[in-house]
Amino acid sequence: MTRQRWLLAAIGAVAVLAGAAWRQIVDDGGSSGAKLAGSTLLALALPDVSGREQTLQQWKGKVIVVNFWATWCEPCREEMPRFIKLQDEFGGKGLQFVGIAIDQSEKVQRFASDIHLNYPTLLGGYGAIELSKSAGNRYGALPFTVVLNRAGAIVHTQLGPVKDTQLRSMITQLL
Amino acid sequence: MASNGISTGSVRKRAIDRACLLRLALAVASITSTLGAASAVAQEAKLLPNERAFAFSARGVNERTIEARFIIADGYYLYRDRIKFTVEPGALAGATLPPGKLKEDQFFGKVETYRNQLVVKLPLDVAAPGGAVTVGAESQGCADIGVCYPPQLQKVTLSLPAAGGRPGMPVEAAPQKKSWLQ
Repeated sequence: MTRQRWLLAAIGAVAVLAGAAWRQIVDDGGSSGAKLAGSTLLALALPDVSGREQTLQQWKGKVIVVNFWATWCEPCREEMPRFIKLQDEFGGKGLQFVGIAIDQSEKVQRFASDIHLNYPTLLGGYGAIELSKSAGNRYGALPFTVVLNRAGAIVHTQLGPVKDTQLRSMITQLL
Repeated sequence: MASNGISTGSVRKRAIDRACLLRLALAVASITSTLGAASAVAQEAKLLPNERAFAFSARGVNERTIEARFIIADGYYLYRDRIKFTVEPGALAGATLPPGKLKEDQFFGKVETYRNQLVVKLPLDVAAPGGAVTVGAESQGCADIGVCYPPQLQKVTLSLPAAGGRPGMPVEAAPQKKSWLQ
């Protein structure tokens, strides 16, 4: 009898947990089910710091990590040295980081030079914030990171700093 | 015989219970994993929209002074050097921001930030008793969970008190996009 009660309580707990998980997914409001298609992101043309228009299409076939950032965003600046290391380590194996800066060109150039940025960064402006919103970044906050697999499909989006171990594990699986 | 029957039934019942417990454990593990995967989403869900994290309001104190106020949500902060005020029509006769809390920024050195609340008196260069004034507040802030919001411009239109009149009620801002970001 006691065991039956325990089982009923456990089943109840599972039901509550399942409900919580379901609510969390429903509350997501399309965050993980991003409306933005990888092909749209790849086709996007944005100027680089020298003013030349670039598209992400040129890196299709690689694992692309798109990082929305700005010099006015301290958490963004803090995580970029980790991206530099990963680009160094996995660049030869088909990994390509691309920054999209929500910022002014001269500030981006100065910061990129200061930290010896080893991957391209494009200038996004306010339009890029809207773009990140369509990828599930509801409030347009930074940093926001989008990972695309070799086929050009979005496989992960992350608001806030990405944990090094998490990104490293994802990259090695995708490469 | 009877004793054997009871014993077999009891063993079978324990085996069923064990299988049931195993399934429950697996279900809990699966749900925990789902919740873990949704953690990035949960982090976003915890965030407030820019205009609610940094709620701006203003009121006319007298015919020549406006009081601007940011109510900063718990766990959020504003950068002092990224706050600017404007008025239309007319101009401000200077506005002194109170000192903020010092924060060490890896690249920009010491920066000052505000938490909880910021109240600033904005003196107009010319008195406008009973006049309508639009106050613009430009700001940029971050959340402690490790994200920053884009700069935002919030505006409120208020009526200044008549000469010798009582201060007005605060007017809260509606969100507005910032235009200089290309």
